[in-house]
Amino acid sequence: MSARLVDNSLRLLGLVLIGVILLFLLTPIFVTVLMAFDSREYLGPLPPPSLSLRWFRQFFSDDYFLGGLVTSVELAVLSVIVSLSAGIATAVALERGKFRGKDALVSFFLSPLLVPPVVVGFALLLFLAHLGLVNGFARLLCGHIIITVPYTIRATLSGLTGLDRSYGEAALSLGATERQAFWDITLPLARTSIVSGAIFAFAVSMDDVSVSIMLTDAHTYNLPVALISSMRANFDLSIAAASVMLMLVTLALILILDRFVGLNRVIGQGVFRS
Amino acid sequence: MPPDPNPQPRTVIEFRDVVKRFGATAAVDRVSFSVGAGEIVSLLGPSGCGKTTTLWLISGFENPDAGSIEISGASVVGKRPYERNVGLLFQHYALFPHMSVAENVAYGLKHRNWPKADIGARVQEMLRLVQLQGFEDRRPGQMSGGQQQRVALARTLATRPELVLLDEPLSALDAKLREELRLELKHILTSVGSTTIVVTHDQDEAMSLADRIIIMNRGRIEQQGTPDEIYMRPQTAFVAGFIGRTNWFHGRIEQSPDGKFAILITDAGGRLTIPSAPQGAAGKCSICIRPERMNVAAASAGPSAQPAGVNNNLLPGEVVDIVNMGAEIHYIVQSPEGRLIAIEPNRSGSRVSKGERVSLQFRAEDCVVLPG
Repeated sequence: MSARLVDNSLRLLGLVLIGVILLFLLTPIFVTVLMAFDSREYLGPLPPPSLSLRWFRQFFSDDYFLGGLVTSVELAVLSVIVSLSAGIATAVALERGKFRGKDALVSFFLSPLLVPPVVVGFALLLFLAHLGLVNGFARLLCGHIIITVPYTIRATLSGLTGLDRSYGEAALSLGATERQAFWDITLPLARTSIVSGAIFAFAVSMDDVSVSIMLTDAHTYNLPVALISSMRANFDLSIAAASVMLMLVTLALILILDRFVGLNRVIGQGVFRS
Repeated sequence: MPPDPNPQPRTVIEFRDVVKRFGATAAVDRVSFSVGAGEIVSLLGPSGCGKTTTLWLISGFENPDAGSIEISGASVVGKRPYERNVGLLFQHYALFPHMSVAENVAYGLKHRNWPKADIGARVQEMLRLVQLQGFEDRRPGQMSGGQQQRVALARTLATRPELVLLDEPLSALDAKLREELRLELKHILTSVGSTTIVVTHDQDEAMSLADRIIIMNRGRIEQQGTPDEIYMRPQTAFVAGFIGRTNWFHGRIEQSPDGKFAILITDAGGRLTIPSAPQGAAGKCSICIRPERMNVAAASAGPSAQPAGVNNNLLPGEVVDIVNMGAEIHYIVQSPEGRLIAIEPNRSGSRVSKGERVSLQFRAEDCVVLPG
């Protein structure tokens, strides 16, 4: 068998494999979208005989879901604000500082990415109970800050380390103080990385179940937790409708990210690596 | 007012016994020098010689471990970079990529608290100086390397710094552009009368830009002087070897009876007439001579063609290579003293051919005697 034939068959095999994987990833999403628009009142065989928006209407008339949605958005916005400020400050300190154990400190700050979220949630629940903090929203916020801050630190750090030091030095030699140089030069030049960190943090917060499920109380729960509980109680297709909307939010975030930074750069820079 | 017949330029910067250590090594080791107003001085040396550390010490990004640094008579030790009025031009320009050309040039003016009304006019004036009018709204990324360097120069000079530091200013540019910009840079610096320190490892840059050259090696100053002095009268073997090309002879010195010239008995056993050593040095020494001070004569023409006087040296040899550099011709000659190089201006091509036997002639007074 000629070398060329081997090469060609390998290439073909690769293409088939990619096709199968795509099918595997996309089929459930396609089915979910289809089900969300199913007009039947019960779970019937696919494909649905006709389409409607009834499950979307159902979702928006359900106070339980709406409460979860509002909490989710509040949590995401607040935790992004806090973890962005903390993340930028941490990244700047880590980038500028020259001290022993710096690498260990970086790993420590990024460790919530490695620890299983259920463990983070459970540990936090015990710890906060010990402190006497029992407010559901405050607990959830703490949890979400912990799981989002590694993303903002990591993204800001990658933006700062890629930055030529001489920009800051030029600013200082031109009469700017350290603080002015930071606001005028460093922050705008690291902007794309910071934005991508914020978007990842937002998406992580919106999507979180594992940490949140430990920290909710009877009145405060986020949307993913609400979806899971209602699935257990009475399964209907408004969950599919909610999934479609979450997908749309994710899609929008990806588009914004791509426009701001270029998705390849973000993933290439290893926001996901850890 | 008539010009002062003996102008004593005001000292802008004074280094006295400055030491800066990084760990165990002294990057700058008891360095003293001063630069007068309007002077262009070059700090020249190989990488790691301490010139860049010296630059950081002047601009305030580092502070000395010992010694004093004064700018215009006032100590600047411990002052932050923005508390000194020192302009810095970076090797890779360091133009702010998210700002337009005009915003870049205005940046220093804004932070040095120029009145808002004057900033626009000053930006225009600076862009005119570097011949970039009409480029105000461009981003640095849309400009060529040479244009970016001009913007950087305009930005540095805009605030009228007491002292301008240029860090390898032209090394990021290609050779032809470098030569053009070098002349322009000198013209601009002279026309605004700026006191300038050029830090470079490129001797051409130092020789062509500077009024005075300070040669550094291993954290210390080896020699300072005008380009002529440095080139024609190097005081150490390092300087002679670092600047330009040099032919070396090593041997023992013997004073001649008349005292005007001395004799070098080379390690290879030859005898060369050399200037008498300054401190009546006897014993081991080296002499160096510049290649363009050596003449190549065809051996067939004989020594009679240019008679060897009492102070002329003649060395037999064989041409092993001829390199035509355009403006000049390099002859590589194998002599009993080793391989030597002679450089002559290219007037009508090479006068001898490869493999030909020649004699190398050079005058005793062109030799520089160095101890060791």
